[in-house]
Amino acid sequence: MAPQKHGSGGNGFYANSGASKAANGGAHVSSGVVMTSVKRPKMEQVQTDHELFLQAFEKPTQIYRFLRTRNLIAPIFLHRSLTYMSHRNSRTNSKRKCFSVNDLLFKAEKSKVDQESHNMASNLQLTFTGFFHKTEKPLQNSENEENSVSVEVLLVKVCHKKRKDVSCPVKQVPTGKKQVPLNPDSSQTKLGAFPTLVVPSQEFEPSNGHMVKSYSLLFRVSRPGGREHNGVTTRDTSMNVMEELSNRKKRYCSNQDDGETIFVAQMTVFDKNRRLQLLDGEYEVSMQEIEESPVGKKRATWETILDGKWLPPFETFSQGPTLQFTLRWTNDTADRGTAPVAKPLATRNSESSTVDSGKPSNVKPPHAVAVNESVGADLPVRREQTHVEPRQKLRVYYQFLYNNNARQQTEARDDLHCPWCTLNCRKLYSLLKHLKLSHSRFIFNYVPHPKGARIDVSINECYDGSYVGNPQDIHCQPGFAFSRNGPVKRTPVTHFLVCRPKRSKPSLSEFLEPEDGEQEQQRTYISGHNRLYFHSDSCTPLRPQEMDVDSEDETDPAWLREKTVMQIDEFTDVNEGEKEVMKLWNLHVMKHGFIADNQMNQACLLFVEQHSTTIIEKNLCRNILLHLVSMHDFGLVNTGTIDKAMAHLKPQKDGQEQAKTQDDLFKQTKSSKDTFSTSDLRKLKSRKDCLSVKDSASLFAIKHFGLVRFFYIFEQF
Amino acid sequence: TQQTKIKIKRGPKSCRKLKETRVKSEYMRLRQLKRFRKAEEVKALFQSNRRRIEGRTELLNEEWSKLRIQSIPLSTTSGSLSSKKLCMVESGFPSFPNQAVAMRPLTTVAGIPFMYSWSPLQQNFMVEDETFLHNIPYMGDEVLEQDEAFLEELIDNYDGVHGDREGGFINDEIFKELVEALSQYSDPEEEEEEEPSERTENKEEEDEKGMQKTTPEGPEESKVGFFKRKRRSTAEGEYKDLLEPPSPVKLPPLCTPSMDGPFAKSVQREQSLHSFHTLFCRRCFKYDCFLHPFHASPNVYKRKNKEIRMETEPCGLDCFLLQKGAKEFADQNMQRSQRPRRRRRQPRPSSSCGPTPSGSGEEGKEGDSDHETTSSSEGNSRCPSPAKMRPGEEGVEESDSPPQWSGAEESLFRVLHGTYYNNFCSIARLIGTKTCREVYEFAVKEMLIHRVPLEDGGISPQKKKRKHRQDVNTPLPDNSSNQVYNYQPCDHPEHPCDSSCLCVMTQNFCEKFCQCDRECQNRFPGCRCKTQCNTKQCPCYLAVRECDPDLCMTCGAADHWDSKQVSCKNCSIQRGLKKHLLLAPSDVAGWGTFIKEPVQKNEFISEYCGELISQDEADRRGRIYDKYMSSFLFNLNNDFVVDATRKGNKIRFANHSVNPNCYAKVVMVNGDHRIGIFAKRAIQRGEELFFDYRYSQADALKYVGIEREINIV
Repeated sequence: MAPQKHGSGGNGFYANSGASKAANGGAHVSSGVVMTSVKRPKMEQVQTDHELFLQAFEKPTQIYRFLRTRNLIAPIFLHRSLTYMSHRNSRTNSKRKCFSVNDLLFKAEKSKVDQESHNMASNLQLTFTGFFHKTEKPLQNSENEENSVSVEVLLVKVCHKKRKDVSCPVKQVPTGKKQVPLNPDSSQTKLGAFPTLVVPSQEFEPSNGHMVKSYSLLFRVSRPGGREHNGVTTRDTSMNVMEELSNRKKRYCSNQDDGETIFVAQMTVFDKNRRLQLLDGEYEVSMQEIEESPVGKKRATWETILDGKWLPPFETFSQGPTLQFTLRWTNDTADRGTAPVAKPLATRNSESSTVDSGKPSNVKPPHAVAVNESVGADLPVRREQTHVEPRQKLRVYYQFLYNNNARQQTEARDDLHCPWCTLNCRKLYSLLKHLKLSHSRFIFNYVPHPKGARIDVSINECYDGSYVGNPQDIHCQPGFAFSRNGPVKRTPVTHFLVCRPKRSKPSLSEFLEPEDGEQEQQRTYISGHNRLYFHSDSCTPLRPQEMDVDSEDETDPAWLREKTVMQIDEFTDVNEGEKEVMKLWNLHVMKHGFIADNQMNQACLLFVEQHSTTIIEKNLCRNILLHLVSMHDFGLVNTGTIDKAMAHLKPQKDGQEQAKTQDDLFKQTKSSKDTFSTSDLRKLKSRKDCLSVKDSASLFAIKHFGLVRFFYIFEQF
Repeated sequence: TQQTKIKIKRGPKSCRKLKETRVKSEYMRLRQLKRFRKAEEVKALFQSNRRRIEGRTELLNEEWSKLRIQSIPLSTTSGSLSSKKLCMVESGFPSFPNQAVAMRPLTTVAGIPFMYSWSPLQQNFMVEDETFLHNIPYMGDEVLEQDEAFLEELIDNYDGVHGDREGGFINDEIFKELVEALSQYSDPEEEEEEEPSERTENKEEEDEKGMQKTTPEGPEESKVGFFKRKRRSTAEGEYKDLLEPPSPVKLPPLCTPSMDGPFAKSVQREQSLHSFHTLFCRRCFKYDCFLHPFHASPNVYKRKNKEIRMETEPCGLDCFLLQKGAKEFADQNMQRSQRPRRRRRQPRPSSSCGPTPSGSGEEGKEGDSDHETTSSSEGNSRCPSPAKMRPGEEGVEESDSPPQWSGAEESLFRVLHGTYYNNFCSIARLIGTKTCREVYEFAVKEMLIHRVPLEDGGISPQKKKRKHRQDVNTPLPDNSSNQVYNYQPCDHPEHPCDSSCLCVMTQNFCEKFCQCDRECQNRFPGCRCKTQCNTKQCPCYLAVRECDPDLCMTCGAADHWDSKQVSCKNCSIQRGLKKHLLLAPSDVAGWGTFIKEPVQKNEFISEYCGELISQDEADRRGRIYDKYMSSFLFNLNNDFVVDATRKGNKIRFANHSVNPNCYAKVVMVNGDHRIGIFAKRAIQRGEELFFDYRYSQADALKYVGIEREINIV
């Protein structure tokens, strides 16, 4: 960034408002401050304290300075849509109530008709608002006579080349000369008082001898005030293009000469294809100073040469010289006074003029030459008459506290810009609200002050910068964007887009230092799963697609199944058939989670149904019968269930028996796992069961792997 | 005399010395060997575990890769990231080349709070008191003095610490191996053994001396000495015992062979059903359940409602009913079998289980002799095992009962006869291998044989358990009304539930598991609500009980088993209708529990599950937990505490708050006290859950002192 030179006329903070702050960002805190509470005695300690203080405030300031720039380039929200900044919003919604879709069509049609009617039939009416050219002094000493310039308008007709002509013949038709106010204050001038000039329609008619190729208007402004000598400093404008238009700097021109200065500018009315270039609207034309020949530079461009340097096109508008006028195509030459004065589009900080409204030299710069197409009375004229009324100059003292000591006090006179992001809040309430909400790394406390307000600024120790967005945005690895295998699921997070809390009346008292007991009810505006969850068993992060699976959904975790089997196996006086039935039944009950006596009949039937193959495989029919009889003894099932269950097993068993090779003994002595030797469809199924049991075992092993490792280490010693 | 004695012993002593060193070295070698073997074993286990894990991971990764999801980023040396940052090692010597390796930056991963491992659980799990301290709690690397004092006190609370060698330094296995190893050198020893009497005496004396002078000689010596003595006195017998191979077929006396197996024996009904009866938990419907250490005493499984479906229709042409006198026989026995039912409150109700007086006559008697006398036809079983063949025992009836009954069939008949009485058609169908006529004939025969005077079997001996289960002695309840005791089914057959009844004493209602009458005054009647049972209008809700699916038939607690939508809102714990909880680092401390979906006020969120431990055990554990400053103990009632330290569910991570969004309530759920966590207010999704741990003011860290909020009416 180019070094910043402050305006010479600046008096401290006040003069530093606007663009300089924009360029300088938060650094102004240290630049335009007045030391207050520095005492002599312990110099070193004070020095170090001060260093610490600066360090403490430096980082947040830098952060907010960065955020400000980012918000300019890519705004997340518009300040004007905030409730407490409603005065920044220039449009009203009043028309919405009576809006109907038909109006759109009507409007479109009307404008079309208007455009068509522009053709040669109507006169061109120019109403001059003023000539703006900034000088160092607002010319207070040279009163009225100096406050106007004369504007001459010539209609330049460029004719078609004839055979012998070297260049296109040019005809200049003077249309009139008017006295135009110099640097008028737009808020103070009456609407009807502007000088108006009319170019009659016949001038544009093609019948004047030559075939006219194009028409253009040439403005020639002669200013008696003398030659321009610009004291403009070079500035790095690349960053603040947006600001330039509004936060204009004062420019200091010295009018030393007595001679007349002439500025010219040219605008095309009809181009060579006879297309209308100048529609109704408000215009501001950048003027070019010429000395030698009045009609010299025909090809003046938007870029202007200033002191031998090219300035960006928009630069001129903040510095002048510019001529402002309203252009209308009208059939009626009489209604000259009714030319509406529309307010140009307000830019971000354009309202700053109201702050400076006390100064007559400050002029509100319009946006661009060809803006504001619709001149009609559509745009509400919202002049801040309330602000203009004489008002006590508000002083805001920023008192920076560190270690409960005031370290520094900065005074802002009648300036309600936010010191960190140069946002013009325009009201003390808005400023405080903005500071509180947007710069939460600091604590702002409002203290009433006879001359205005004192704002105590201290570091917010509680600021944790905790993230309240989608956790996936932080926790997903950067490389994930390319390693995804199609669309992926994201953590569901609810963002509050609209929240209408009960608003209390805006009152400055809410910024007073809070009482102790009165804790602010901090509301989270993002609810839902705005954090990263973990698997309860492995402590690994839970990915969004795993959200819907509850690890606790199963009532019979693998280890518990294993445990019950082991417990049963540990009995020494229970025979193997009983054990098998008990294990099967336990797993069955655990899986289905039976809780009521009256479920037992169903449970038994389901058991037999689901495990029939295993039961027959392991030759457990009689033990099952014993189990059922035992259940009956407990009064849990009736004989009907026993009959049904055994009937279900019977046909399968018979079928199996036939397939069976030979004696029971062989089978019995072998362990149950070996029974897969004979191939059978059913057996395959039961093998599958067995596999799943193995799986659970391995899971179990994984779980206890840590334990084993521990033992392993232990054994190493 | 002393001197001479010692002199005399010089000779053998040097010899003994030699032997001692030999024993010692042998012993050390064996131990070394054992340690190596164990290390190898652990290594193998470790490696097999690794392999399993790898296989499993591969399987999972394969599954993942098929899904449309973000894959786990593998930290591979991707070329794209090679930012040419190298880590170099340069050496000053020219002969050593510089070494460089590419630097691979890793993204920082935020740390997570500490967590001890725990096992997931959805229902409480009762564990016994630990009399041994399993491990000495880790208190940090440097042991502070106060910690040391604490540890000492802690160890005093226990019988010992796990891993302390009890009963000396040698176990059976090593002992056996040692003897075997030493027997190789037995030659010189043999000579000594020739004079055993004197030697033992000497030895004894010497050992005493050895013990006295242990200090200079070191512990090894004394050990060996001790070992020697032991060996002399009892070793011989022990060794012989150990040498005997454990007989594989030998079963404990009470264990009956499997009914489906080839060795099935003909036994009485009670014996056949003994395992099923004793291990079945009437409350959990499981065998050897995790929650109720008490299992059925015999009269628990006494049938309460007998439904006898007498088939009057003959089942076929060959039905026994068509036989002469069969119908009368059946009817007559029917009456008989019903008679004892009327006398149900008689002193020995177990005897009434049997359909006929003879049916259960033999119960409680064990051993083969019983069977041999009573089941005369056992010898005819097709049992192929020669050991079980008892041809000499064949009865007289063999000739007139041509169909042979195997032991299994006989036992099965007795079992079924106790349930189906004289419905021989059904019995035959269930036995499968016999016709009803055969069954009938067998029954008639049995009747004749068993017409022996009733023997009071009484309570059959308890099953031998693999481990000792502590008896829960219910303390005498205080009179104060806010004491809540654990429920245990009452069992006092002679008299109705009065002031001596366990349930009445503990101020619990009698449940369906009690042995008292259905119309018992102390029984809870259940509710007849047609609404959601979530107001005090519902008697169950008022009594802080969940609706009993066997009592409350109208509110919906007894149906919709398959759906999660039940009209009754007062049965969530038993059905496990918990909310989906999530685990994340807490906003307050450590881990926290978060809820996935929003819940309404008073909705059930989750059950606080864990190990069910006694109050004494909780005191002992609590001491350690207090020291660790983290406790998952939750007072359940006067007898038990839920400890979610080792086993639990995600709600265990919910933190304490004085302004919580949840509350805990101990609810009686089908006879068990369980802790439900409910929403104190409407809770948004993603909110962290808190409840008031109810620490008392004085000892905010004494976790066990949780005051309860229920007053059972």
